[in-house]
Parts: sequence; C-alpha cells; structure tokens
Amino acid sequence: MESNNQEIGNKVNLREIYRYLGYGTNTPDNKVQNLITEVLDALLCVIKPKNIYKVFQSNISKNQVLLKEIDRTLVFESRNLAENLAQCSTVVLLAATLGIEADKLLQRYEIMHMTKAAIVQACGAACIEAYCNILQEQILQELSKKGTRLYLRPRFSPGYGDLSLEYQRIIFQELECTKRIGLTLTDSLLMYPTKSVSALIGLTANPQSCHIGKCSQCNNTTCAFRAI
Amino acid sequence: MKLKEQLGKQLLFFDGGMGTLLQERGLMAGEIPETWNILHPEIIRQIHKEYLLAGSNIISANTFGVNAFKCKDLEYSVKELVTAGIRLVKEAMEEVHSNQPMYTALDIGSIGKLLKPLGEISFDEAYKTFQEIVIAGDQAGANLILIETVSDSYEIKAAVLAAKENSDLPVIVTMIFDENGKLLTGGDVASVTAMLEGLGVDAIGFNCGLGPEQMKKLLPQLTTCCSLPIVMNPNAGLPVVVNGQTTFQVTPEEFAQSVKTLIEMGASVVGGCCGTTPAHIKCVVELCKSMKIASITDKNLTVVSSYNHAVYFTRKPLIIGERINPTGKSKFKQALRDHDMEYLYKEGLTQEEKGAHILDVNVGLPEIDEPQMMEDAVTGIQAIIDLPLQIDTSNTEAMERGLRYYNGKPMLNSVNGKKESMESVFPIAKKYGAVVVCLCLDESGIPETVEGRLQVAQKIVNTAAKYGIPKKNLVMDALVLTISTGKDNANVTLEVMRKIRYEMKLHTVLGVSNISFGLPERSRINTTFFTMAMNNGLSAGIVNPSSEPMMSAYYSFNALIGEDEQCSAYIANASQVIDNPSESFPVKSSALTLDEAIIKGLVESASEETTKLLKQNIDALSIINEKLIPALDVVGKGFEEKKMFLPQLLMSAEAAKASFEAIKTTLSKQGKSSESKGKIVIATVKGDIHDIGKNIVRTLLENYGFEMIDLGKDVDPEQILRTVQEQQVKLVGLSALMTTTVVNMEATIKLLREHHVVCKVMVGGAVLTQEYADMIGADFYSKDAMGSVRYAMELYEKGEL
Repeated sequence: MESNNQEIGNKVNLREIYRYLGYGTNTPDNKVQNLITEVLDALLCVIKPKNIYKVFQSNISKNQVLLKEIDRTLVFESRNLAENLAQCSTVVLLAATLGIEADKLLQRYEIMHMTKAAIVQACGAACIEAYCNILQEQILQELSKKGTRLYLRPRFSPGYGDLSLEYQRIIFQELECTKRIGLTLTDSLLMYPTKSVSALIGLTANPQSCHIGKCSQCNNTTCAFRAI
Repeated sequence: MKLKEQLGKQLLFFDGGMGTLLQERGLMAGEIPETWNILHPEIIRQIHKEYLLAGSNIISANTFGVNAFKCKDLEYSVKELVTAGIRLVKEAMEEVHSNQPMYTALDIGSIGKLLKPLGEISFDEAYKTFQEIVIAGDQAGANLILIETVSDSYEIKAAVLAAKENSDLPVIVTMIFDENGKLLTGGDVASVTAMLEGLGVDAIGFNCGLGPEQMKKLLPQLTTCCSLPIVMNPNAGLPVVVNGQTTFQVTPEEFAQSVKTLIEMGASVVGGCCGTTPAHIKCVVELCKSMKIASITDKNLTVVSSYNHAVYFTRKPLIIGERINPTGKSKFKQALRDHDMEYLYKEGLTQEEKGAHILDVNVGLPEIDEPQMMEDAVTGIQAIIDLPLQIDTSNTEAMERGLRYYNGKPMLNSVNGKKESMESVFPIAKKYGAVVVCLCLDESGIPETVEGRLQVAQKIVNTAAKYGIPKKNLVMDALVLTISTGKDNANVTLEVMRKIRYEMKLHTVLGVSNISFGLPERSRINTTFFTMAMNNGLSAGIVNPSSEPMMSAYYSFNALIGEDEQCSAYIANASQVIDNPSESFPVKSSALTLDEAIIKGLVESASEETTKLLKQNIDALSIINEKLIPALDVVGKGFEEKKMFLPQLLMSAEAAKASFEAIKTTLSKQGKSSESKGKIVIATVKGDIHDIGKNIVRTLLENYGFEMIDLGKDVDPEQILRTVQEQQVKLVGLSALMTTTVVNMEATIKLLREHHVVCKVMVGGAVLTQEYADMIGADFYSKDAMGSVRYAMELYEKGEL
C-alpha cells in the first residue's frame, strides 16, 4: 500500500505548516507562501515514504491496553492511551517514515538557506502527518470491508500523555521497523529518519467522540505550537 | 575443494529460513532466537540437518542477530552465542555425513542502528561491533562470512572491512532491496555492487524483502554490472498478513520453478530466506542440481559510486569539480584553519548544482591535521551531497582515512610512476577498491615526448597489476603543461591521451586549466583546449563547473557527439545561461537602503547595498552598528510582538549575513578582521539528533556579531566542558528536543558546574519550560530564537562575555 508523493502533496495541510512555523492562526505573506510552495515541491520530489502496520484485536481496561496476537499479548500501561482507545475492539500499530531523503534535504538547506531549512522542517512534519492520514484512511477502508462500519480514533504515539517513550522499543520490535522500512531507534528513543511517526490507532464502531485534539491532551499549555 | 574455487564455477545451494521454523517450535515473541544456540541446541541442530538433507551446501549458523548491542541485555556474550552457533552447524554436518560440499557460514546481520554522520553510531563503533563477531566466528571454525539482510551501504562497508581485516574467510554479501531496486538508505544495485567489488568480496546478491518473482525483475540490474558470482536468497513470496500473523505463501514447487529461472538469468548460489523451509530447498535442489551456471565475466566497467548512485566512465565525458581545494585561495585556507566545514559544503553544493558528476576533495594545508580534516570533509560532504568524491592528497595517511570513511567506491587522486608513490598508494587503493588517477611522471620528471609519457603510463599499469589492481580501476592523467612555456605542450598532451584511450584502452582524466597558466583571458584557451581534449579521448575533465564557458563547451560537445538525447541537457544549460544575466541585476531601480533590504530579507540587495556603502568609504563598524544591527532589531522586535514570524526573521538573518560577508571581504582586503562580541559555544546535547533549533539560534547570534563555536548535535558533555575551558568561553547554549535527552542537558550543566567553570548556560528546545530550566540549573531559558539573542546581548552589555 504505497501512497505516492503527489497524493501526500494534495493532502498536506498548509495551515499546519504555518502553525509549525510559528504563525499560529496567521497567514504568511506572499513571499513566504511562495517559498513554502517551492520547498514543499522540492521535498515531495525527493521523499520515499514507507510504512508498516499490523492489526490487533484489543482489550482495553482503565489503565491498560492489551493487543492480542495468537501466541502473545502486547501490554501498554497508560491511562491516557486507554482513554483514547476506549471502546476500540481493533487497534492498528503503525510506523511510517518519509525516509532519509527528507533529513538530507534539511541538512542541505541548513547550509545554503536557513529560511528554507526552517520551512522544510515544517513541511516535513506536515507531510508525515498527511501520509499517516492517507494510510489510516486506507486501513479503515480495508477493515470496514469486513462488515461493520468503523471509525478512527486519533493516532496516539509513545510520549503522548502518560504513554512512556519506552514503548517505542516494543513497537519497533513488533513491526520490525528497521528491517522493513529502514526506521531506526536511538538509545535515547528518538526515531531516525526524523520525519517519522509510530502510533497506535483505535478503530471503533462508535461514531461518537472520535476527534480528540492532540494538543488538548498535552500538559504543555505554553507550547508555541499549540493548536488553538 | 575450497569454497572460493567453487563459487561461480558450480551451482551451490544455501539453506532457507530459520526464524519462522523457530517460531513453529515455540520461540516466543521478544525472545532472541540466537539464545537457543545454548538453550535448545538440539532444535537448532535439527533444523541445520534438515537443510543439509534437503541438499544445502552452505548452512548459515544461527548468529544473524548476535551483536554487542543486543547481548548487553542477555546473559550470553557475543563469543558464546557465535561459538555455539557455529558448533551446531558443524555437528549437524557430522551427523549427516554426506559427500556433498558443505560449508558453515558465520551469519552476520544488521546492527539495527544508523551510522553517523546522519545517525547514531560511528563507523568505527560499527566496525568494532562486527569485528567482535568475525573474530568469534573465525575462531569457532566458520568457512565463510555471510553478511546478509543489510540495507545501508555504509554499515555494509564496516562489516566487510571487519570481515576482511580480521579473517581470511571468503565474504558473501546479500542485501535487502525494495521492488524499485533501492536499499532503505537510498543506495541502488549499481552503487553498492561497485563498492563491494572494490572491497574484494567474493559474491554478491539479494536476500529477504522480496519473493523470487520480484527478484527476477531486479536481477538484470545486478547481472549487467556485477563481475562476481551472484547469490539469490528470496523469501517465499511477499509477506501476507493473515489473522495478524505474517505469512509467506509461495509453495516449494512454485519457489523452485522461480529459482530455476533466477539461475538461468545468472545466479550461481541459491537458497531461501523468510518463509522458506527445508521442503522449499529440497524442491530447488531436485529441480536445479544438474543445471549449468552461466560463466562469470568481467564487465570491465570503470565506475565510482556515492552512497546512492554509480557514475560510469564512458564515451560521454564526466565533469570532476575542482573547487574543493585550497590552492591559491586565501579564504578557503582560512576556512580550513578555522575548521569551517560549511565553507567546503557550500563549494560542494554549488558544484553539484552546476552539473559536476564527481567532486575532487583536497584539504591539504601544512599547518592543519590533514588526515583528520580529510575524514571530516569526506564524511561531512557525503552527509549532504550525493556525488561520488575524488580523494585528492599526497599524504598517505590522509588518503587512507579518506578512503576508509568514504561511503561507496571512491576515486583517488593520485599515484605517479615513481617507485615510492606506487609502493605507498597501490596497497591502499587496492584495499578500498578506489579508481586511481595515475600521473604520467616518474623519478625523471614529466617526460617531454609522447613516447616518454606512454612508457610511464605502461609502467604504472604493469605495477598496478602486480598489486591486483586491474586496468579498469586506473584512470590516466597525461598531464598538462602551459603552452606559454612550450608551443607543443598541448599537442603532446592530446596525443598521449588519444593513445592511452584508444590504444592502451584506459580511461583518462585531465586538470584542464593548467594549459593557460601565465596567459591573459585564460578561459578562452581553457574552453578551446577542453573541447579538443574531449575530442581526443578525455573521459573526465577536472574543471570548475561554475565556469559558464567550460560548461557550455561541455554541453555542446555532448550534443555534437550524439550523447545528449534531443539535445535536452544542452537546451537546459543554454536556457539557464540566458536567464541568469537578468537575475544578477535584481530590481536595482527600487533602490532599497541596506536596512530596508535586511528588514525585507533580500540577500542580493543587502550585499550590493553594503558594497556600495563600503565604496563610499563608510566605516565597516558604523555600517554594522548603525544599519545592520538596528535593522535586525526591528525584525527581532516584530518577531517578539508576533507581527513578524520565523521565516521572516531568518530571511533577514540571511540578508544580514550577506551584508557581513561583503564587509568581511573588504576588511580582509585591508588586512583587518571584524570584531567579535565574544565567544559562545552552542550544541545539541548528547543523544539528541535534531539540531535545526540550535542552527537557527546560531544563525541569529552570528549576525549580532558573536563568534559561534558550533559543536553540532549529539555532543558529549565532556566535549562541551573541554571546549569551554580551552577557549575560555563565558556562554554556552544547549538544545534538546526530547524528555529523554533533557537529562543529558542536565548532565552537561552539572559537569560544567562541578568543574567550577565560570560560564552562563542558556537552554532551549521543544520540551523545555522555565520551570524545567530552573530545575536543571540553567541560567536562562530561551523560549524562542530571539530570547537567546537578547540574553547574549545583555551579558555583552554588562561586560560578562
């Protein structure tokens, strides 16, 4: 299920790019907008997005999420995650990356053109989000074929709320991220290539309360990038 | 009979998958398969036996995932697991007692970490990790080393060097490519094949990732460029997830049919990977064992490669960019003394943009540590530029360092016909598989006659052969002497080149511009000579790609010899040349003042206005203090009031930087240098690899006149302490992005305090808050890039910097 770069380009949310650049709800002037278009095009030309995911039957309790395989169970201890996945019988473990090319482009810009470097950083963040959005829609379509209409919960990643970053190790091992999509995890639990996402996505038959803003769950209320 | 003698001469069979078989026998999720070498040796031995009975000749020991990083959390050492793994294969072989050739492979997989400069562990760390495995495997009695399921050419190089420097065993490398023929780190089939042939491995191939049908599509890419035996170990098809379980569904019979085709297409060692079983291998052996394999032929390609693509020497000449070289460039020399790598990178990026195919890298300066600089330059340039490099030095140690840390098959400049030169250069060139530039001179100098130079060329070819270096890895430089000192100098060079290329059948290279030394309007002669040289067999010109006449000659030549389909490259270049003049005179009429240009973020205008002011003899310092800094303050204030935003702040910074450059150039012409407001060390802390925030801060502080010592990312606390102490720095800026790396920020501050260093520490980064900054003992929390500027200025004004 490879989503092509043009599709990512179509799905990219420009407002997100503005927000990552510190504009809040403001819109950049024409000059900056043109620069964003130029950099976004350059980025879309070089990235090689890849993804890997697995679908699990899940068991959610108050503080715990259990993902079940035939021969084993993955355990995630987290109240926030459990709240996010409440009533989800199916959970997808997803890892996606724009690939090493995005980081290379960023490094080049850092040397030649610092403004473009800041912009490609924002564009990369928006592109990986767009890519994940495309992927989760495709996953949803596929899983909905089996009968019940399902709805997506927002992606939830290690490091959000009380879900420890340590769970990155479990996700990486389970999905074989390094071997399958070239995504590596450092000892300090950072992902490299940097424009990457690992997440749990809940699917539920309940259409209610499906869109919990990520920012509203975060404790850092003074964050410069907080979505208003 | 030895394996090396059989490889490529007769069909050999590898074994198949191990992981899936272990899971069937009870391996739990998260359990390390290699621990079973000690916990359940009977099961591992049994699987090996099944493969031997199925007809496998090469059995991979169950050592794929063993490495120091993994063993850290285990009760067993690398040596214990490897030794047990090899022993189990040997025991299985004894029990089977067959007449078929049987070999034990030490199986080495990826470490699972990305290498620096982009990733986390250094090349040397990777090397040491592999070295430990190789030594253990060699001592345990392995017959060959199989490096498999690897997908990063740099890591592969570390593994191959570890294998070859610590054992005499044959080395086979099989890589995991995607369906487009790309490694996960971007390398293609041709680029890694070039590198591996250069490093002297014994066989190359694909494994994992793809099924046999997908490998069929990819194999032609390998057979066209590979002069070594080819190995194909596919999965039993692409993975299919059934009920949450990954399965492989190609049956043994189907698998064998596909493998048969792979052999017909050129594979000479075949087996399986994920999802294949003894039944698959048995079918393969039964169907294919009497097949004849294609004979291995030398493709005779002269090729160099970067981490992601190969560049071939062909009829169509190549451009080797000459600009990364300090000779005659005072600014470049200063950059080397200051370890200002950005200066080198810019030279490289510009040449890439202008159409260079290969970049020459010369960083030789008597007063610097050239080997270290060569290593830094090669790894740094390769982190951002995709072109193959030509390591250019006469310092043997710098040569070796450059070649060792190079990612790909490098070019080396140069060897000559002197005994001493050949004795020192050829062993290194052979070891790293470099394509060597050979200068046609020897102890008696540069021969004046055509015959004399050809004799030297022949001597070099003969000597190289004794070191095992084939002609395809030699590129001859006929040498150019200026026509201002001898009227036949061009004629001799051209004739030598023609003979080398068409009679000796070697490729050629030439530093073209020497021809005009001592003459006025040199580009006229250079361009004409370049065209003549290309027409007389020049394979690669070492030129300045930013020279428009040279590049015009180059594109015209290619179009004229029919090497430019529909003249498209010519047209593209020509239209650029036409466009450019208008660009270099941007809206002059608008007549912006310097401060306006900086506020608006216009780089060219800022630079031009500064030059204009300097020409009016306005003092540099007053330009800085009365125009530049006030303009930056306007933008900074706008940013703080949220009327202007980060991109505008940075565009202004870039415009101001251009203005500074113009001032610096003028000052250095007057023998002066601009004054510094003080030194600031800046770094992204250990464990953290995100450094854009830090780089933005650095850019802004530079513009306010601070001397920035940028230590980069993932910086050890000790290094920060050392720098602060040695350079007596009074302000340190630290950046961290993640909660997991803020701890290293705290550790750095603690270390500085413990050593009673009198310096302030300012911190910033996505997860930091004022509270957190206070908690870890920082002096200042900068919530955005301007915050650090304000703080540094405050210290400066108080005289604390």
